[in-house]
Amino acid sequence: MSELIVRGARKAYGATVALSRGDLHLKPGEVHVLIGSNGSGKSTLCKIVAGSVKPDAGEVLLDGKPVTIDGPRAARALGIGIFYQELSLAARRTVAENILLPAMPVKGGIFVDRTELEERTARIIAEFQDVAGEGFAADVTVDRLRADQRQLVEIMKALASEAPILIFDEPTSALDRAQVDRFFEILSRLKQEGRAMVFISHRMDEIFSIGDRVTVIRDGATVASSTIAETNADEVIRQMVGEREALSAESKPPVPATAGEPKLSVTNLNGAGFRDVSFTVGKGEILGFGGLHGQGQSSVLRAIFGALPHNAGTIEVGGKACAARTPAEAIRNGIAYVSGDRGRDGTLTGRPILENVTPIHFLRNRLHLARTGALATLADAPLKALKTKFQDIGQPVNSLSGGNQQKVVIARWLIDRPALLLLDDPTKGIDLAAKSDLFQLIRSLAAEGMGIVLYSSEDAELLANADRILVFNSGVVTRELQGDDRTRYNLYHAAYEAA
Amino acid sequence: MSSDALPSRPAENAALAFLKKPLVVALILIVLLLAVGEWLSPGFASPGQILRLLIVAALLGIVAAGQNLVILGGREGIDLSVGGIVSMAAILAGNVMNGADGGILPAILVCIVVGALFGLINGVGVTLLRIPPLVMTLGMLGVLQGLLVVIRNGIPSGRAAPGLSDFVVKPFLLGLPGIIWLWLLIGLAMAFLLRRTVFGYRVYAIGSNEQAAFMAGVPVKTIRVSLFMLSGVFAAIAGMCLLGYSGSSFANVGEQYMLPSIIAVVLGGTPLSGGKGGYTGTMAGAVLLVLLQSILTTVHIDEAGRQMVFGATLVALMLFYGRAKAMRG
Repeated sequence: MSELIVRGARKAYGATVALSRGDLHLKPGEVHVLIGSNGSGKSTLCKIVAGSVKPDAGEVLLDGKPVTIDGPRAARALGIGIFYQELSLAARRTVAENILLPAMPVKGGIFVDRTELEERTARIIAEFQDVAGEGFAADVTVDRLRADQRQLVEIMKALASEAPILIFDEPTSALDRAQVDRFFEILSRLKQEGRAMVFISHRMDEIFSIGDRVTVIRDGATVASSTIAETNADEVIRQMVGEREALSAESKPPVPATAGEPKLSVTNLNGAGFRDVSFTVGKGEILGFGGLHGQGQSSVLRAIFGALPHNAGTIEVGGKACAARTPAEAIRNGIAYVSGDRGRDGTLTGRPILENVTPIHFLRNRLHLARTGALATLADAPLKALKTKFQDIGQPVNSLSGGNQQKVVIARWLIDRPALLLLDDPTKGIDLAAKSDLFQLIRSLAAEGMGIVLYSSEDAELLANADRILVFNSGVVTRELQGDDRTRYNLYHAAYEAA
Repeated sequence: MSSDALPSRPAENAALAFLKKPLVVALILIVLLLAVGEWLSPGFASPGQILRLLIVAALLGIVAAGQNLVILGGREGIDLSVGGIVSMAAILAGNVMNGADGGILPAILVCIVVGALFGLINGVGVTLLRIPPLVMTLGMLGVLQGLLVVIRNGIPSGRAAPGLSDFVVKPFLLGLPGIIWLWLLIGLAMAFLLRRTVFGYRVYAIGSNEQAAFMAGVPVKTIRVSLFMLSGVFAAIAGMCLLGYSGSSFANVGEQYMLPSIIAVVLGGTPLSGGKGGYTGTMAGAVLLVLLQSILTTVHIDEAGRQMVFGATLVALMLFYGRAKAMRG
């Protein structure tokens, strides 16, 4: 029987405040839903409770007594178990070993007690056996399981801890209906046993079927907390959006008249993480991709760019079929792609700015010789257009700030103009000034007639810059927002409803 | 938050940065070692002696050119099979020419084709079959050693053509033997390849961030296979020159090149992680190593001792570069 109260928890990373005032009152025998949009701070709040993030301010009370949770071990000792959103399984170990990893039964001080291990895990696995699907068994290594099965192992791991307080950070994102139902049955039983559970989910139907209370977080602060019976989906979304912004349409760009052949036309595209996606992008149009993080937006863009395979559907660029199997093929067909994950997909770390700007020019013109002087002149114009701050085009790209590095990466696409520009959360981790420079450029590129697809995990950015928004939910496009429908309320409504 | 651009450096710092360049360090060490050698044994730094050292350095430097390319390409790129290819080329060339000048041209062709072929197999193993370069090229070295035993039982070791030996040891132009000119030519060609061609830009790109290079349309696998092929070809050319240097090939003549070719590259400022550095430094590294070897011989340290010194040098270099990396981060 544990009651947990968090008051005024605050956490900042440098100048970024992840959580400004996190409050949570968790009572025994309840499923407490925590909800908030991308980056609102709910995961940070959970991590503070689980001991993996140290708060800058605020207090945590357990059964009325103030406690300091200074590490995951301390949290476990206090009876707090957590399901991590980023799966934390040991890939080469078996299901059974993973389940009991936090509390391995030990014999004689050092040896793993195999019998005890098998007995205890068998009980937990039996509860999910009929919904776990093919190939799931106690002695299978985790790397041979499907995504949903891994998520089940993570759930079992949290259950095996038998902690009085359990935190589930998006435990159902990969599960199918039957698996979710079984999980909810178990949650109901635990509730009756008097355990307290925090449940994070983005599916409204789940929240209202299992939750007892709901706490809403917006921009790093707890804004509302009530019982499920007292509220409804519309009100929760309104609280997430904020009354002020709920209905006001934000500064909207004028919608250009799109005439003639579309720049991009995608029909019934299917692949890992998305299905039946169809849309067109007109000449000079900025099409927005919205919705919660990881609903297939990025995968669709990467599939069009040839960096991920697609197994059905057609892609036409400028009226010509273009099923690129590699980025090189896509680039030759006039497609450009800018990833938000600069460090992985963008910068050639340690290399000069010049070398970071030239690869697309080489490819599109089938060049073999690199004339440094001429290349520097070519690279100068797009770098200037983006207001990139640097001293010497020969200096390493990683000596620049994040925003300027991203500008260098974007500049490589502008020496030879593409027909289509795919932006995959391009402003992740860059400063406000750079963002504004970027969107100014994107708008002017659109005015020149380029077709642009913009996926952004920042809703404000999307609403302010996209002419039209497709909302993604579980890999399908669930809604298209046009004209005055482009409001934060509509965006959240489409993003959070059951797909 | 970080600033937008690097602050401008004062002139003293620029001078210090210049002194810290691997190439400059290597050149200073070369002069230093020459002085030490002359002090230990007068005549060590005589022109004739220096020329002999340069010939030996050229042989190592040519092998290291290929090693350098493979290492620049990143993803733990390394070619441990170079020694085996050197030996193989020396034997094949010796048998093809068998002491006749008319056989030189066919021998060159055979060596280049065989070197490229073994390099191709290395490259395919590393890119398509995704075998780590260390394992792939070590396995290839084993295969080559086995092949050498088989070949040696069937055919004589072969003799160098007089023309080839003259090319390596006799003055050819301005008092320098042909192999020195060949090495300088390779140096120029490498600099051109790495700094003035799209291929060179792409080598650095895949060495610095393979995924980003792929997303920018760089044909990552083609480039990597080419690098291993070039490494095989350079090793084969070196093997042929080695035959000219020693007159006839003997068992595992090339084995002595595996470790030194890697050390020369690292000494010259190309980190084993790839993506930066170049061949000019490697050339200095090769001279430095040969000098060191020569000094060790002068003070009567035998082959076993020299091997130990080389191994320790590589480990020390790794420590040095590892520290530099940690300090940057």
